[in-house]
Amino acid sequence: MIDAPGPWGTGPFILTQGASVIDAQRAVIRSEPLACIWQYTEQRSERVRLVANPDYWDRRRGPRPAEVVFRNDLPPERALELVCTGEGEVDLVTEVPAAQAARVEASEHARLVAVDSAMAVAGVIDRDAVDLPLADRRARQALNLAVDREALVRDAVFGRARPMSGLTPPTRLTAAHRAPDRLRPYPHDPARAAGLWRAAGGGTGGLLRIAAPAALEAVARRVGADVERVLGLGTEVRTLAEEAEGQERRRLAENKEGPRDWHVLLVGQGNQSIDAPPLELHRAFAGETGEYRAGPVIPEFERLYEQLPAHTSQLALVRMANRIDRYVRRQALALFLYAPQALYAVNRHVDFKPYTTSFELAETEVGPQHWSRR
Amino acid sequence: MRSPFARGHRSTEPAGTLHVVDPSPLNWLYITYNTVEELVRVTPGGKIRPAAMRAYRWRDDRTLEVRVRPGERFPDGEPLTAATVKRSFDEQQRWQAPHPPGTHFNIDPRVRCEVVSQRKVRFHLPEPDGLVIGKLRATHVMSTRFWEEVGFGYARQGSGEGHW
Repeated sequence: MIDAPGPWGTGPFILTQGASVIDAQRAVIRSEPLACIWQYTEQRSERVRLVANPDYWDRRRGPRPAEVVFRNDLPPERALELVCTGEGEVDLVTEVPAAQAARVEASEHARLVAVDSAMAVAGVIDRDAVDLPLADRRARQALNLAVDREALVRDAVFGRARPMSGLTPPTRLTAAHRAPDRLRPYPHDPARAAGLWRAAGGGTGGLLRIAAPAALEAVARRVGADVERVLGLGTEVRTLAEEAEGQERRRLAENKEGPRDWHVLLVGQGNQSIDAPPLELHRAFAGETGEYRAGPVIPEFERLYEQLPAHTSQLALVRMANRIDRYVRRQALALFLYAPQALYAVNRHVDFKPYTTSFELAETEVGPQHWSRR
Repeated sequence: MRSPFARGHRSTEPAGTLHVVDPSPLNWLYITYNTVEELVRVTPGGKIRPAAMRAYRWRDDRTLEVRVRPGERFPDGEPLTAATVKRSFDEQQRWQAPHPPGTHFNIDPRVRCEVVSQRKVRFHLPEPDGLVIGKLRATHVMSTRFWEEVGFGYARQGSGEGHW
């Protein structure tokens, strides 16, 4: 991260005022060789100003705006109100909650821009649980078969997501990843789910504990309702405030033995490119160095994952990533839920070009009717 | 509503001011991506593509050769050369866990960067690593002044661990 403004880089913009920095704390997953993640707290200037770099090499790309000001003095709710109700204060708000999308669509001043993100929302399954048979693949498959993803996306995410088959988010460029045998999401199959649950030794009347960040509470409750109806279990949903969520993630990263006070922990995990999803997704949930692995190391996963970097050809890399995704799906090494859309509220005179994995503004165009150009 | 950005409205010179509110916890990274280049970038669709490098090729499965884009300069006038790339790479490799997401973005500490010419570097890998191209997205290519005056956490915290 850039701690201070200055002429430091050759990107499309130059940082001329303020900074957006983090203070990081390490969570060690494995000490030798070191594997860790960082948890961090943010510190932002009230305003962070970028100006167009006149020497940026890619003129086709941009930069198109002359200036970008990140306003960190406004809470997101207030920013959303401002972009929807007027002009001049806020032009673009990121991370619009799906529940607020309709409000933006109804606005005279703003448009809703949506892009299929490469993020995965999934459940970490505690394979160390002693009171439920989640170490058994059939029980984990039963959970996946119990969830009605179509209904979940429709009811809990307002349709702003795509159900996931495994942990590779379905983007246009990953469509080929799923051919030729068309990896599909686990179907909602109550009868098969109940059968597999019983076969794994699961009875009715147990309690499935689900923990989720507050933003995923509706999703957790929907999952819980499906599990109750299909498997005959009771469910308990615990929502985690921001600090508690961070603590839970740290505990999970650092303590691979358990016990844990949840059976399923819902998380959203990003992915910085779609070329090799296992690096950030499958490894995180199932790998020896995975911050979300909740159970013993899985030798077959490690064997597959070790083969991933052995390929320098893009095609071979993609094929290997597909094999890993299929393995993780077959073993039900997570509760696969959905890949959300990233939603933005954008001033009507701004032509915003969203990114699947990032937030970059070089290509975004400020129209001639925009307040800053009139 | 019909888009106001029909053909013909495109400006060739930068124009206008955007006020952005970005509650994302990755805002620090987006500020970096908007102001800094790496040898590769990610397209809007999410694919890795050359950026500060013009092209790359695998000479063999342990040698990655990169041609640096000609004519690039930092805003203070310093040219971006093969030596700039090596400096950035070597700075990154000083640290055990430089990248905030975690060590999965690390490049093998045994990898060596060789300046072949003013516009060409070779990365010598101890074993094949097809993920290294994507990991170069986290190797920010910075000016000499940056390393001397700010660094990734150097001036502020005295360490680059967790601050790239």
